[in-house]
Amino acid sequence: MTARAASLLLCLLIGAVQVHADPAPGGYSAAELYNLGNSYARMGKPGMAILNYERASLLSANDPDIEANLQYVRTSAHLPGEMRGTFDRIARIASPLLLSWIGVFGLGVVGASMIAAQLSPRHRLWRGGAMLLGLSMLGLTICNGLALWPILHEGVVITAATPVRVSPVPMGDPLFTLPEGETVKISAEHESFALIETRAGRTGWVADSNLAPIVPRK
Amino acid sequence: MGGYLRLLRLMTAVVLGSFAAAAALADDPLVYATIQPAQIALGESAQFTITNLGDGTNAITLPVVSGLKFEIIGRTREMQIINGTMLPSSSIVMRVTPQIAGIFTIPAVTPKAQPLVLQVTAASGGTSPAQTAPRAPLPPPILSGGSIPKGVHLTDDGSAYVRLSIPKREVYVGESVPVDIEVGMRSGFVSSLNGLPKLTDDNFALNNLSHQPERAEKLINGEQFVVFTWRSLLAVVKPGTFALSAEAPLTVKIRTRPRRESALDDRFGDPFWQNLFGATVPKDINVTSPPQQLKVLELPTEGRPADFHGAIGTFSIASDVSPGKADVGDPLTLRMRITGSGNFDRVDSTMLDHVDQWKTYPPKSSFNTSDPVGFSGMKTFEQPVIASKPGAQELPGLSFSYFDPNARRYETARSTPLSVSISPSLADSLTPPPSVGSAGPGNNIYAPGLRPDHADAATATPSLVPPYLQPRFLGIPSFIVLAFAAGWAAARRRRASSVSEPVSDRSSSRAAKRVLAQMQAAARTRNAAVFFDSARTALQPLLATRWQIEPEDVTTAEVEARVGAEDDLRQLFALADESKYSGRELNATDFARWLRIVGVLLTTSRSP
Repeated sequence: MTARAASLLLCLLIGAVQVHADPAPGGYSAAELYNLGNSYARMGKPGMAILNYERASLLSANDPDIEANLQYVRTSAHLPGEMRGTFDRIARIASPLLLSWIGVFGLGVVGASMIAAQLSPRHRLWRGGAMLLGLSMLGLTICNGLALWPILHEGVVITAATPVRVSPVPMGDPLFTLPEGETVKISAEHESFALIETRAGRTGWVADSNLAPIVPRK
Repeated sequence: MGGYLRLLRLMTAVVLGSFAAAAALADDPLVYATIQPAQIALGESAQFTITNLGDGTNAITLPVVSGLKFEIIGRTREMQIINGTMLPSSSIVMRVTPQIAGIFTIPAVTPKAQPLVLQVTAASGGTSPAQTAPRAPLPPPILSGGSIPKGVHLTDDGSAYVRLSIPKREVYVGESVPVDIEVGMRSGFVSSLNGLPKLTDDNFALNNLSHQPERAEKLINGEQFVVFTWRSLLAVVKPGTFALSAEAPLTVKIRTRPRRESALDDRFGDPFWQNLFGATVPKDINVTSPPQQLKVLELPTEGRPADFHGAIGTFSIASDVSPGKADVGDPLTLRMRITGSGNFDRVDSTMLDHVDQWKTYPPKSSFNTSDPVGFSGMKTFEQPVIASKPGAQELPGLSFSYFDPNARRYETARSTPLSVSISPSLADSLTPPPSVGSAGPGNNIYAPGLRPDHADAATATPSLVPPYLQPRFLGIPSFIVLAFAAGWAAARRRRASSVSEPVSDRSSSRAAKRVLAQMQAAARTRNAAVFFDSARTALQPLLATRWQIEPEDVTTAEVEARVGAEDDLRQLFALADESKYSGRELNATDFARWLRIVGVLLTTSRSP
């Protein structure tokens, strides 16, 4: 019984490692997205440049080049800059992939500590330390999820003077226009339109062709 | 007596008028020109009249002014009595239309006449009060004519008429039929028009009847008439043959004297002289046009297309799409233009619906009419469409079905398919743009301050979604949680069992000690029956638990069957039976030996 469970766990780990370690064709890498953002910036397309910098920042949050170019393009496009807080910097101290494994490892440490406590009353100090370490690792992963959750539901306007309409149809009356490169929150979707909310709190419908989500949908 | 007084007043007026006219004729030339009004806006026209008093031998030069267009619209000839002399008078009436704004001087038509000045202001777009003021109505075209036109039926007193113009062919239910209603009112005989004209038959309705009719002046039967013309669409709602006529409410002036007594009034001009001498009174009447036969047919059911929505008329269609190139997801506008004449309110189309690789939306329409009643024009349908796949796509041709009342059959107009080039969506592309690095810094404000590119790393992830939010990855922590939960539960159970076992041992050892104490007491009194009975009573529950039988079933025979005849346990049970019934005596050595054996048996019987 124990041998079967151990072999199943091993298979899962090997499969997961292969999934996330092997570079799949057409996959994402921070360097590739960063270079893509630079290319679009050189072409004078701030929307696509900001989109790719944001995507690169998801994979490599504390890369100074990504952050610098993102802020530079925002400023050049007369868009408001974004200041990252302390929580965001700590929660995104590593890539989501690494933090995922850290969380798994922390989960294992917590579990092992709990089992050890049942098996033997000795080494209480070591067990307590291991439990604290595991919980910290697990908490770091959860904080990373909390920090990334809003970004996963954001999009970047990729066309100039994008009309925001009152209803999700092409002939809907325009409410206002968004500048290229503006980052907005995507609240809902209807057919080929997305309900967006700007940082100023204004809402409306934008055509999918004018907006690119930071995390692409499959 | 009254008649003589009126005649005296008439003669006095004639004499005074003759003196005034003679004085004027002495100073003025025989040919003179007038223009009304002297100030107009660009786009309007003025009336220029050249009047020749006399025998007409004076040479008249038609004016030529740069920027003004002169059109002769009528000629009149009449007799005037001036200073007791009857003079022939002829007039040429021209319409003056300016091409540009400005102040124009129209030269004199004869050497003795005075030049005229026409001021033309800009029509629109300015801010001057004259430009913002409402435009003055166009001066009515003045027509000439001497006979009664066809379809005109004057009232008995010749003061007014109503004429209804309808098509001479058969019409169909649902068709919009253009009609003209013409109300003619003799100048001076009709004092007011009291309402809009209407049809006398309730089976028809007039749609889009203009509130501002066209105004004209005509000579009918030698008399001057003011003619108002309404254009409208006749809505036909039921089949049959109908006698159709129109009527208009008017207030006319009725003569109060016999015609023979008012002959002089007519000679000097009806309105003025009759009013001057109080010869008329007002009266409200309804003037009706002569009835006209109109045959209305049902639309044929044979050959009716499925997409026929009730359009009757003559139409043609054309379509286009813009832009011709787009990305996936970009909305395009497909337009269908239906041009022609007919009931445009029934011209409808769903355009495209459920086309592969296209997302279609309901169309909206707009109508631009080319006439005041909306009978002719162009209706445009605009439908947003979105391509879902890249490549060379084709939008199928559109069709529109209608009934042609002239050909008396259903027709279907079709447009040609449209080709559109669709490119992949920019946001979905992971490949660098084709012109990377080609944009010069002169036309790009972003390039100068960018940090350099990174060396491309080999590691790539298939998704930007964090792994801990992906279902495939979540299997790992889920399995770990389950595994550790199971391990924790097993360890806890083992610990619990390890804690409860010494308690049982302790209670068992206490019972064994108690039995052994009873046996020792029996040994001291040399009571073998009590000694062996205590041992058997203590061993029976233990053996019953071990062998999964009832304690009463643990007998000497059962023990012998399970452990054999030579075993100490079987001998113990046999001695217990024997001492109980035979009163067998044992020495101290035997008691000590059996005490040791029972102690061992009590310990070993607890384990399975």
